Parts: sequence; structure tokens; C-alpha cells
Amino acid sequence: MGRLGERPGSFRFEPAPELPGSDRLSKYIFGGIRHLASRGWHFEVEGREHIPSDGPAILTPNHLSFCDSIFVPAALPRRVWAIGKGEYMDSWKTKHLFPAMGMIPVDRSGGDAAMAALDAAANVLDAGRLFMIYPEGTRSRSGNLHKGRTGAARLSLRCNAPIVPVGHEGTLEVQPPDSVKMKLGRDVVVRFGRPMWAHEFGDVDDPRTLRRFTDAVMFEIAQLSGQTYVDTCAGSGDDASGSAPAGSDDQAKVTPSRPSVVGSAPSARPSVQETVPTGGDPTPIRPPTNRPTVPARRPERNGASPEVPALRLPPGRRERVVHGAVRSGAD
Amino acid sequence: MNLAGLINDHDADAIALVDGDEVLTYGDLRRRIGAMQGDLGEHGIGEDSIVALATGNDLAFVLATLAVLGLGGVVMPLNPSSPTLELVRKLDVAHPDLLLIGHAGRAHLDSETITTERLDLIELSNRSATATDVPDRIVVDRNDGDAAFYLATSGVSGDAKVAVLTHRNLGWIHEALAEMDTPATSADVALGVLPFTHIFGLNVVLLGMLRIGGKLVLQERFDAVESLRLVQEHGVTMLTGAPPMWQRWLASDMPDDVLASVRFAASGAAALPVAVFEAVRERFGVEIAQGYGLTETSPIVTLGRGFPVRPTSVGRVLPGVEVALVDESGSPVDMGDEGEIVVRSPGVFAGYLDDAAATESVLSEDGWLWTGDVGIFDEDGYLYLVDRIKDIVIVSGFNVYPAEVENVLMAHPGVQGAIVTGTVDALTGEAVVAHVTGTATEAELHEHVARHLSRYKQPSVYHFLDELPIASNGKAIRRALR
Repeated sequence: MGRLGERPGSFRFEPAPELPGSDRLSKYIFGGIRHLASRGWHFEVEGREHIPSDGPAILTPNHLSFCDSIFVPAALPRRVWAIGKGEYMDSWKTKHLFPAMGMIPVDRSGGDAAMAALDAAANVLDAGRLFMIYPEGTRSRSGNLHKGRTGAARLSLRCNAPIVPVGHEGTLEVQPPDSVKMKLGRDVVVRFGRPMWAHEFGDVDDPRTLRRFTDAVMFEIAQLSGQTYVDTCAGSGDDASGSAPAGSDDQAKVTPSRPSVVGSAPSARPSVQETVPTGGDPTPIRPPTNRPTVPARRPERNGASPEVPALRLPPGRRERVVHGAVRSGAD
Repeated sequence: MNLAGLINDHDADAIALVDGDEVLTYGDLRRRIGAMQGDLGEHGIGEDSIVALATGNDLAFVLATLAVLGLGGVVMPLNPSSPTLELVRKLDVAHPDLLLIGHAGRAHLDSETITTERLDLIELSNRSATATDVPDRIVVDRNDGDAAFYLATSGVSGDAKVAVLTHRNLGWIHEALAEMDTPATSADVALGVLPFTHIFGLNVVLLGMLRIGGKLVLQERFDAVESLRLVQEHGVTMLTGAPPMWQRWLASDMPDDVLASVRFAASGAAALPVAVFEAVRERFGVEIAQGYGLTETSPIVTLGRGFPVRPTSVGRVLPGVEVALVDESGSPVDMGDEGEIVVRSPGVFAGYLDDAAATESVLSEDGWLWTGDVGIFDEDGYLYLVDRIKDIVIVSGFNVYPAEVENVLMAHPGVQGAIVTGTVDALTGEAVVAHVTGTATEAELHEHVARHLSRYKQPSVYHFLDELPIASNGKAIRRALR
């Protein structure tokens, strides 16, 4: 039914029909997990009334630990799907278990893996089911909540499904990034927030609305998880504290990542598009030497009263150069 | 190249300019420029001379500009109605050799505070009309990087500065516009009502129209009914105005088909409210395209011509211009994310006059201009403006763009004007402050914003004012309220 099955090299997987076998397996797996979770950990769930009892919804949890993908589904009253690495289908240990737990494998080697993931997610939602996606894209290494990607918002619009923000605490202590074992007896709380719709945030044809919607979802997640929000992407330079989990990019993206660049420069001038390798880190455009740090007044959150001095121009800006390079031609 | 050569090849009998009762063909224009160049030459104006102009959108402006450029000089257009002291400040930056004062600038004619040598431009213009023994018009050769204009600008960096624009900067914009799918042609007629002291009026409306050999109808002082009458009388096909002008045209009681001849309508200088866009489409049957640009980019970066208009967008990138949206480190952000708009094109200016430090703070060595504006692209390459980067308020780590909050406040019927700023907050880093004029109460606004804004964007403090600080260009000044 979806595009997935038609493409060579990707996995044949039909997420829409809840097959009796896999459903039963899923039921047993999560029944077991719920049973274990409530015995093995102090597992609490808040706000379960916000999960629609039927129809589609997108769940957007914060992401700290591998075991988020166990605790959040275990907290839900309904079966939930998510996108996972195609590599899980290569191992006998995971290739039956993970799909039964709701994982839709997406081959990330192809050029349009993001499109395939988006289509797979849309299939789930169009069938009226729950879909889970980590809006930070990957695990946060710093423990902070990072900038949200707009994929969930796009899906929400495309499938007319609300986003339910999810915040949880305690999974990092249960399973730190470098650990394969889960430590028992810890506190884990999963909190669900009020469902949110894109049209509450403006004209849905305007890309600014997607961003506003995403930011509003992240704000609610921060409220639910108690994390500090930082306006940088997880996995970026600002997220370097703590040890990096192996293969940290553990979620297939649902939006194509391409740089916001429009360049059609004459050949004499190197175009940005040519210098930006697709899929890799785009070449930074060097800021001017004398540039003020921007935004200059980003305050520290956990400090005493933050100083806000930086609206001032840098000292160099006030200096008057009597015969600068610009003027010399005209004198 | 010399910009002044842009009228060289047009048919001598084709109409170039209409200024009230005066109608000039391209032949007349060339002859009168030659005559004025003779007079200016006698006053020592030649290569690298700097000539300031204080006159409105009139024939004298066009003649003087092309005469000075042709002689190899630099033109500095000044707002003729600005206070004399402000004029003096600008003259002090550029030290022009001569100040030409036209009709609209006459208030400055007798001022003792101006020490620059002054000449009566009206006299010069009149003499050029009646001169008998006219010398040949001069167009000296200029290098691409030679200055053509000094334009005062509040600038990318906020302080008043003088931007240096070269012959190549301005001329390149004309070349790029000609490459578009639906270029203007010599059959087009434009209304010249946006001030020529502003880069859009100067380089797109005035020089752009002369470049293609079209007809330009001048309107020195904005009057809604009069401009619509001119549109009808001359069959104007290209109509460009600022948002307040469009609002006044809407409010006039001219017939609904008054813009029947208009094939391209545009708005610039500030964001056009969607309500105005829709009302104009409804009543006059034209869709107003918006664009984006700065004095420092001569000015076009994006424009809405040649493809379907999206009312909240400023259009697509002009071919030949490179635009990237970048984060603080200069890395391009993902498509769909907001970032600071950086621009590189042959239209990017040479720098600020006598202010290398200011130039270096916005222009990187490899030619990228950091605009200080935050924007976002959609999948089809349309650009949307978000706000000025330095106005962002950061609440608990989240970016709050004042423009968004202001728009929500303005949508309340009891709010006349709103400016949003940030203040230090011990808990959240910064908090949102609303400065409001109108009749709405704090309780009403609380309820109103709660319906439209995420919690962190809702103002925590309201200041009710009698009036808001407004700059001379009609934009509210947030700086004054911080």
C-alpha cells in the first residue's frame, strides 16, 4: 500500500493493518513490559486522559535514553508505531521483536530515506493510529531539551492529527547512554500534555506556522519533563557535554534535511550550493570579523540575575575611520 | 560602465518623463542633462565630485542625478523635508562639494547652519529647458567599483550611516530584472511616487524604468486621489507603493476599475497586512506583490513578480542573488527553520562611508552581507520575514519574535498600536513586555493573547501609553522603549 513496499532495497512492511498475530504479540509484549515496569521501577504515568481513545495522534517525547522507546509506549493505553533504523532488521534478536513493538523499519541508506519515513508515518496516521516521534531527532547528550525539528508538525498537518506532547523523567538513570543494562528500582515518570493542533498557530500554508507550532510543542515538553530548553539541535556542538551515545542518530528523519540556501550564482563566483555537500555539514558562511555575537543577549538560565548588556554596539562600530578604504576612491 | 549611460540608446521621441504639465522625451531628457552639465561644470563639478540633492520626486531630481553621474560625480539624495539639523548631520558625514536645492527642499535654502555651497536647482532646471547652445551630454567612463550614490540609511546595524553604492551595484539590479520571466518593457508606464531618496524608488522605480526606456509619471507629493487619477490618465502598468499608500488608495472613493491598466502592483518598505492585500484584490482586482531588500543590497533580494503571489511572503530570490539562512555560527539552517538572512550578489554595496568598522561588522571578507533580519523559506523557495535578530526576546531559552506578539495584540479591536520588547527576568532570563495604545484593558489583553499565543510568548507586563514612538518612515521604534 505505501511506497515502501514498492521500492527495491527497502523493507516490505505494512504498518496499517493491525494483524492479529502481531497485535497479539504486541499485546503480550507490552502487557509484560507494563507488568515489569510497575514492579521493577517506580513507574508513574500522568495525563493519560490526553491520549485520544481513537483516531490518529502524534506523540512527541523528549529523548534521553534508549529505554524511552520502552517506557513511553508502556505508558500508553493504545498501540503505538515509530520509525526505527532498518539495521534492526538485520539481527535475529530484533527483527521480530521490534516490529511487534511497533517499529517501522526504514532503510536509511537511500537518498530519500526521509521521504520514505514520512510516507510510512503518514500511513500509520491515516489508518487512525498513534505514531511516536522524537522531535529532537536524536538523544540529547547534555540532558537539556533541544530545538525541535518540524517533521512532527508537518505530519500533523498532512494527516490532520494532533500532537500530544510527552515529557518524561528518570530514564537516563535507568539506562545511561553507554549502558546496555537497565537499572532497577529507579523512579520513572511519563507525562502527557494536552493535544495541540497546527491551526492554533496561524495560517497553515505559512512556514512560520510550522516553526511556531513546533516551538510551542517543545515548550510544553519542557514543562512536562522539567528540562531546560536550549535553542540548538541535539547532536550539535552545544550538545557535546556528557558521553556521546554510539550511533546517536537513532531515528530516521521524516523531513528531508537540506540547507536553507538559494544560490544561483554566476560561475565565476563559487555558489554556496556547490560548496555545501549534500547530507554532510554545510560549509559555514563566515561571519564578518567585527561582528557582534548574535543574538547578543541570550541570557543564562541558571545564573543569578542575567546581565543584558549586549545591545550595545561593539566598540569598533563607533570608531570613525577618517579615510577608510571606501572613501579613498572618492577623495 | 557609467549608470548615466542607461538612457543612451532609447528612441529620442519616446516619452521618458511626465512631471505635471511637462512631458519629456528621451531626446529632451538627454539634451537638458547636457545643458545642466554645462552649468554644473562651471561650478567645478566633475569626476569624483560629491553633489547632495534636496528635492522631491520631480524632473529636477532626474536631471541633476543623471547630469552629476555622467560627469563622473557621486550623488547623495537627501530627504528634502527632513529637519535642517538632520540634513546638516548627513552633510557632515559626506562633505559634499555642492548642495542642490529643489522645490521640496526650499525650506533649507536660507538656513545659516548649512555651510555647504548651495545652488538653486529650480533655476538650473529651468535654464536647461530654455538653453539654446547646449553642449553635448557627457558620460565619462567609470570603473565598476566607483561610487555612484551615497545613500543615508538607518542601516543593517541601526545607527544612521551613509551607504556607498557603486555603478555596478545599481546597474546589476537592472540586468537581473531584465533576466526575469516577465520583465518590464519600454511599453510599460510606472508611477513614481515612492521617494527617490529611498533605494527602491531610486533604483527600481526611477532608474529601472529609464533603463528599459519606459515612461515614468512623477508625483512629487503623495495624494491618494491624485495618484489614482494619474494611473488612469496615463494607463500606468506598474504601481508600487508603501503599505500606508495602499491603505489610502483603498480608502479613496475612486471607481473600482481605476487600476484596470495595472499589470504589476507591489508594496515595499514594511510588511503589508494580509487584510490590505485581500481588500485590494477584492476591490481593484490586483494582487500586490511584496519584496525584500535593503539599501545595502541595491535593494532587491527577493521579489514577488513572475509567479503566483503568496500574501504573507516577500517572494522568491532574484536570480543571481545568493541567499542563505544561517545560525549563529554561520552554518546554513535546515529548510523550514528560521535563520539570519545573509546575502551575496553583485548588488551588495561597497561599504559605509568613512566607517570601516561598521562595514566590517556586516560584510564578511567573502562578500556575504549579514542583514540582521531573520527569515524562513518554504519548500517552494518563497521567503517569509520573521523579525530583526536583535529584537528577539529569549524566554526560558525559547525565541520570542516581537512582531508575532505585536500582530496578535493589534488584532484586538481595542488596540491601536503595540510594540513588544524584552526585560530581564530572574526566573526566565527575559520576559515579554507589551507597550500598547488604545482602549483595551490588561485583563482583556491577557485573555486575548492566551487564545492566540503559546504561554512563553504572552506578555507578562503591559504598559499603556498615550502614543508610541514612530520613526519618520512610519515604523515603530522598539529601541526607544527598551
